[in-house]
Amino acid sequence: MLGSMTENSMGSFRPHFFLLAGALVTAVTLFGQARPSPAIDFSGWWTSPFHEDSLERGAGPELVDYGGFPINEAARLFALSYDPSRVTLRHHQCDGYVAPYQVRAIGNSRAWEERDPHTQKLIAIHWYHQTFEGHRVIWMDGRPHPPAYAPHTWMGFSTGTFVGNALMVNTTHIKQGWLRRNGLPESDQATLVEFFVRHGDHITYTSVINDPVYLSEPSVRTTDLYRQPVDPNFWLFACDDGEQIIGRGPDQVPNFLFGQHPFLTEYADKYKLPLLGALGGAETMYPEYMTKLKTATEAEGMAETRPSQGPAETSRAVDPDPHDGEIHVWPVRRNVYMLVGDGGNVTVQVGDEGPLVVDSGTGQMAGKIIAAIRKLSDKPIQFLVNTSFHPDQTGGNVKLRESGSDPSVQGSFFSLQFVDAGVGATIMAHQNVANRMSAPTGKGAPTPAAGWPSDTYLKERRRTFHNDDDIQLFHEPNAITDGDSIVQFSRADIIATGDIFTTTQYPFIDRNNGGSVQGEIDALNDILNRTVYQHESEGGTLIVPGHGYLCDEHEVVEYRDMLVIIRDRVQALIKNGATLEQVKAAGVTADYDTRYGAATGPWTTDLFVEAVYTSLKQAPAKNAAQK
Amino acid sequence: MGLKLFVIAALAFVIPREACAQGALPPPRSPLAAAPVDLTGYWVSLVTEDWRFRMVTSPKGDFTSVPLNAEGRKVAQAWDPAKDETSGQQCKAYGAPGLLRLPGRLHITWQGDNALRLDTDAGSQTRLFSFGPAQSRGGDWQGVSTATWDRPGSPMGFGFMLGPGAGAGQSGGSLKVVTTKLRPGYLRKNGVPYSADAVVTEYFDRFDVPGGDSLLVVSAEVNDPMYLLQPFWTSTHFKKQSDASGWNPTGCSAR
Repeated sequence: MLGSMTENSMGSFRPHFFLLAGALVTAVTLFGQARPSPAIDFSGWWTSPFHEDSLERGAGPELVDYGGFPINEAARLFALSYDPSRVTLRHHQCDGYVAPYQVRAIGNSRAWEERDPHTQKLIAIHWYHQTFEGHRVIWMDGRPHPPAYAPHTWMGFSTGTFVGNALMVNTTHIKQGWLRRNGLPESDQATLVEFFVRHGDHITYTSVINDPVYLSEPSVRTTDLYRQPVDPNFWLFACDDGEQIIGRGPDQVPNFLFGQHPFLTEYADKYKLPLLGALGGAETMYPEYMTKLKTATEAEGMAETRPSQGPAETSRAVDPDPHDGEIHVWPVRRNVYMLVGDGGNVTVQVGDEGPLVVDSGTGQMAGKIIAAIRKLSDKPIQFLVNTSFHPDQTGGNVKLRESGSDPSVQGSFFSLQFVDAGVGATIMAHQNVANRMSAPTGKGAPTPAAGWPSDTYLKERRRTFHNDDDIQLFHEPNAITDGDSIVQFSRADIIATGDIFTTTQYPFIDRNNGGSVQGEIDALNDILNRTVYQHESEGGTLIVPGHGYLCDEHEVVEYRDMLVIIRDRVQALIKNGATLEQVKAAGVTADYDTRYGAATGPWTTDLFVEAVYTSLKQAPAKNAAQK
Repeated sequence: MGLKLFVIAALAFVIPREACAQGALPPPRSPLAAAPVDLTGYWVSLVTEDWRFRMVTSPKGDFTSVPLNAEGRKVAQAWDPAKDETSGQQCKAYGAPGLLRLPGRLHITWQGDNALRLDTDAGSQTRLFSFGPAQSRGGDWQGVSTATWDRPGSPMGFGFMLGPGAGAGQSGGSLKVVTTKLRPGYLRKNGVPYSADAVVTEYFDRFDVPGGDSLLVVSAEVNDPMYLLQPFWTSTHFKKQSDASGWNPTGCSAR
């Protein structure tokens, strides 16, 4: 437009322009005293030159190449257990990259700014990465990070500020993923600090990963990107899962038993490195390690391939429960909410027909749960579903049932539909839940009758249509107990799992009440049979766990994998005649203890291992490891 | 009237505020006084990338990731460390283009007000980054390095108007170093070559991780038409040390 202006039009334009420019300059000068760090524009198309770690970032890293990573024993054992065939599993085929790994990936990247259309304030910086179509949003508007019970994503939740000549980004809520895609894990507890600095057409990206579960020191990496002058036009990375291995059982997860990695020394031998160095650890990052590499022995390396002796590690994960005496409401999707704060998670669906609630918490905060539900709906609770008879799921039954009282219904035809219609909420559960909560005639019941399920089912499914959604309870036999249900909201695409799946502990396999490791694995697979991801293995069906943060199928997959792998280890030891004490001493959970382990409390690692052991010993394992 | 306003505003902008208060233009500040970032101290390399190329010397002919041209490959294939030793050239991998990739510690200090000095314990090398005229003729392993402070732009795209005084102090910025007049040497210890025509452009950035370490990140671009098909880019990072712990000066090693 300026190019087409006539001399006259420019003449009339100039004074206004200079007035404006002068005013702006003066304003900048006057306010320059408190000038914030200047914004840096990263907008454009970017690509990495791949002059560092090119093999890893291109074709892929070699197995057992962990040198330079400050991993702890748990991470090393996790990676040594990793069979690359695991990516052939349907639920892993489209796994995305986590945020820090994404930047180092092959492919193009595009950055752009999102600004408020009225104020032009910077709201966010977006990064789109070709590989796995990772779309990253870095919020620049000062918004807080979500609570610990919020969902995790591949990209995490990022907030940024300009510090000096850099964009500094803090990221939380990242999914479990790869630190390096040869099995080196990055846990869902990792947090990330990044610095983006631009030197002309060159960005230097620095990432600092803190992972209390798998790192003993921060992992620092730097990556170069150069600007593409034109749109490279390669942006898509379609992925849809399919059947890659025919005939493999649904409860088979490719893994190597401790000490049996078939390619343990392949990389070290190929490059004439001591195995000890290839196995990584914080010490391998430092210059002094060059000396150690000259003296490292094979025995030292081999010693690192099995769990060390000594007390088991315990969880270093953040407790997602706020423990502040309040009930917190997190919107899940549509008319469904997750209530957090009273031990077990409570799922609430609201609508014209009155709330349907899944599980009632421990009961200690039942009043606050009812108050929170009242804020979501002014109608009495119509249904309460129990996923198990355990107190974390049924503790608030009596009070929640009472809050469903609706005198207007009593005596009506509607009351003929349910025996307790109008008196209180109808409690639904598998019949075994009712059996466990009640007692044979003449004997004292462990729980008050007012909290017992009144609407039970015996076989595989109970279904109802409520609040514009079809809701199905599926019995998961012999998982945590013999009466577990999962609850699927089909239209909202949500599954409440009860304690069959949690993000806080090893599964509480209650051997005394019908639980078993195989039943638990089958239950997790049944959940996965009902989920669909939205994009690159995330989103889609949302999972409300019995305890912990809101998930999607990815977290269930990792949990299932863990359980299968531990089962396989215990099964192999049993096959070799190991006693329970020998199994415990073998450290069969060593790569997961920093995430889920407990030495105290109602569900310790020892109790979990014992439950796995006894359920495999007492009943031949169905579809046990075929190794 | 508009022009007058513009001139007044522009003057108010380009004359530093402290100068206005004193009624006189201040003398140019020295590079030391104008440093936007403090790079001095001891730093230890964190070898988390290209680990096997840096922690051990790779076999001859392994020049993975380096964009060598045919001539560069030919030279790399002819690497003979014994010959380097006998000819007194065991420091060929310790020249400026490859020095900071070697695991070790750095000690960065000011040499006067106009030059930063970088010492490495690996190979006991010294690099001098001169903000003024070069202090050597080059032709040695470290060549001639000229330094400037590279500051970020300003809000609203007016960075070009900020003038030389703007952004001074510890407000953030990079040290830019351009190194030329090098003695031919190796990008990697296994004989991956660079020539006397190589030009190295480096940016030194310091990042302070909240609640964590201070990091020094050196982004380097090596241009060498004789041996490289395209610029060779690496970024190398170091962690700040509070003292000289671990400082262990060594001689050069050809192997």
